[in-house]
Amino acid sequence: MGASAEILFGGLFQGSLYAMMAVGLALVWTTIGVFNFSHGVFMMLGAYLAWQFVDIGLPLPVVLPLAVVAMAAIGWLLQASVVRPLIGRPNIVLVVVITTLAAASLIENGVLELWGPRSKQIPPLLEGNTTIGGVGVSMHQIAIIVITPVILAALWLFLNRTRLGLALRAVAQNEDASLLVGLNVTALYGLAFAIAAALAALAGIFLGGYRFMSPVMGADPLLKALIVVVFGGISSISGPIFAAYLIGFFEAASNYYFGLYWTPALLFAVLILTLMVRPEGMFARSSRSLA
Amino acid sequence: MTRPIGTPGRASWKEEAVGMVLGFAVLALLPFLFTDAYSRHVLIMVFIYAVVASNWDLSLGYGGVFNFGHLALFGIGVYAYGLLTKLMGLDPWLALVASGILATAAAILVTIPILRLKGIYIILVTFGFAQLVMQVILSQSDYTGGTQGMVRIPGLYWFDHNMVRDGKFAYFFLALGLLAASTVFLRVFVRSRIGAGIVALRDNEEYAIARGISLVRQRMITLAASAFFTGMAGAFYAAYQRNASIDVFGMSLATIILSMVLLGGTSTIYGAIIASFVLTVFAELMADFGAWRPIITALLIIVVMLAYPTGLAGLIRAGWAATAGRLRRTAPAARPAETT
Amino acid sequence: MSALLEVSDLTAGYGQVTVLHRLSMAAGEFGNVGLFGPNGHGKTTLLRAISGLLRPNSGTIRFDGEPITGLSPRAIVARGLIHVPQGNRLFPDLTIADCLALGAYSAHARPHEEANREKVLSIFPKLRERWRQRVRTLSGGERQMVSIGTALMSHPRLLILDEPTLGLAPKIKDELCAAVLAISKGGVPLIVVEQDVEFLLELSQHLYLVNHGEVATEIRPGQTMDHAEIMSMYFGH
Repeated sequence: MGASAEILFGGLFQGSLYAMMAVGLALVWTTIGVFNFSHGVFMMLGAYLAWQFVDIGLPLPVVLPLAVVAMAAIGWLLQASVVRPLIGRPNIVLVVVITTLAAASLIENGVLELWGPRSKQIPPLLEGNTTIGGVGVSMHQIAIIVITPVILAALWLFLNRTRLGLALRAVAQNEDASLLVGLNVTALYGLAFAIAAALAALAGIFLGGYRFMSPVMGADPLLKALIVVVFGGISSISGPIFAAYLIGFFEAASNYYFGLYWTPALLFAVLILTLMVRPEGMFARSSRSLA
Repeated sequence: MTRPIGTPGRASWKEEAVGMVLGFAVLALLPFLFTDAYSRHVLIMVFIYAVVASNWDLSLGYGGVFNFGHLALFGIGVYAYGLLTKLMGLDPWLALVASGILATAAAILVTIPILRLKGIYIILVTFGFAQLVMQVILSQSDYTGGTQGMVRIPGLYWFDHNMVRDGKFAYFFLALGLLAASTVFLRVFVRSRIGAGIVALRDNEEYAIARGISLVRQRMITLAASAFFTGMAGAFYAAYQRNASIDVFGMSLATIILSMVLLGGTSTIYGAIIASFVLTVFAELMADFGAWRPIITALLIIVVMLAYPTGLAGLIRAGWAATAGRLRRTAPAARPAETT
Repeated sequence: MSALLEVSDLTAGYGQVTVLHRLSMAAGEFGNVGLFGPNGHGKTTLLRAISGLLRPNSGTIRFDGEPITGLSPRAIVARGLIHVPQGNRLFPDLTIADCLALGAYSAHARPHEEANREKVLSIFPKLRERWRQRVRTLSGGERQMVSIGTALMSHPRLLILDEPTLGLAPKIKDELCAAVLAISKGGVPLIVVEQDVEFLLELSQHLYLVNHGEVATEIRPGQTMDHAEIMSMYFGH
């Protein structure tokens, strides 16, 4: 029973993390059609902002929404400066990769300047440890496992049950038709980026609560998010979410049976195989959608 | 047959050859102008980066294949050289060439999964490949030194010339020679039928395939061609610095080199070389700025990308076309050639 | 009736290719307007320039007396100038309900959402049956209905339809024609682009033949042209 409990729990935890990391990336890709290489530093910056707020004495329940909102604003700003001006260019995907990469480098070094290279940590969402089914787990991990589906459900509700969410879905599916219906497509782009940045901030805060933070902590999660999005299908958001949990369980099982050493190689193998067999992703439909 | 002065567009190969020889002759005179070791070091780095960037222009600009693992090929060259010379005692010159070959083999290996994929997927797979290579090197720290890297790697030799105390004179010419060889190779490749085939594929894939150009073969050839000198540049870098570190796989270097490609203007080869000069010198001038250097560099890249979509080469071409128009008023208004 | 839409000396194109060459036309003086002509000669480009998707190089467009050249599509939609584009790719994963709700998104249209929805469903009763179905599961004819229905939800003061019957079976074409007639009778001025000249003649008596990016011929009501003459004009080019 011990193995299953550990894998189950590990899978839920990793899956939640991956889902949180990947959903923002998928949102931007499906809505705007570009790949945001600053997504990793969004996570890192969210964690650092949270750390700063904690450092000046604010309680965690205040810090969380504050950091998330701050990050949303920064995400909106980034989009306005290095993505929006490029809309309409023929090789926009390529150029956005370089501008968001440059922005990532900028932010990374800026954080290094402002906060120094020494590792930091933010308090976990919930303190303490407990045992479930014979497996030792931290309350922080439980909090993540519980909060993530709630947030994803909220996102789903927003996209599918609100007028603004409807507008976002429309832009993801047909930009010209959205313009002709009177939608403010540029503002919606900004919104998509802001939401993606907010989600990334949450992912960063999750990570910072149990791992040491450093200015370069965003690179690995970016890669993981990438793998999840590719595997899940870059034409929708729900695909990557399923993929996140699937990969989470896969990784938990792999860690248990083969050890941490092999897991990165296995994940990469997953990436390559998916792209060879089904490039649009495991859970993809033919059209781009946002649900 | 030479074209009249002022007509923008493809220069004849004779004109280009003359231009290239002149250009490299001028570069060869530089160490007599800059006699201090530091300036020569900067120039050597310019040449190394120029090789990496211009080869990336081949796969990215001409081939339209966004190989995000290009820097990993450089890194493979670095570590291959280090391991071959230090651990296996191979002759440095042989190791140099062998590193180029190894990088080429790696490139071919990477093309296999992405042979028929489209744009963004290629970016993702090659990005993953680069990360994987880095992970492998990190994990084999017994051989590669892990995060510490490798030190005391044997350098290159030139008969019995003293490579260490000549103020980097010999290394300068070796680097210049590498750049010259690489550039000649790239330009010949680009002007060849294979080169034309690659561009055809990039510009209109379905049509090119209908005309009998094999997508799979062309892509593999392009990536392999772009890997050889890149790997050698990596080996040269390891030989020159006498050490190897994992930094070469980092985002910062990739960003800088990619910027050289885009800044210089894709599909030009020369553009990347010019941009290498500009960016490397610029970065060195700012060496005292500490952490601000990458920040300013990043800002520069963003500003240029926003303002000049066709990069420096496009700027130069536009400037040339403008002046040329004044030289020959009767020349018809021409569309600047997309590829040269 | 004065001209609701005036296009004067419009030159527009894509990059270095000019498609429209100083095109002038007006709509509204003589009822609905029909545009026809060979493919690739500028009809869709003209519509895209009118609705703001394409910025013209020179010339002016006036809607109800006010200049709208160079305005954003959003601003033009807010004035009630609604363009239903060619093809029916629409929003593949939205339901019919979603699409119609989306049509009423702008501030100008929202107060009339309930009323317009009823109107749309009375013109296209089939949509009520498939209310919660996604657009990509619908047939070509049904998608066209959703397209037009969505446009109606935007509370148009002038409705532009680009090839509404393209690729549809004759029976569906007739249904659509009847529906568009009903819309016209309901008081919405139309500009219709069509290959099917019969369709056009049912809807309008003011026609423009657009060829090589300019107006080759204008036919006003009263100029009784019979069908054969128009066809020869059309194919004669």
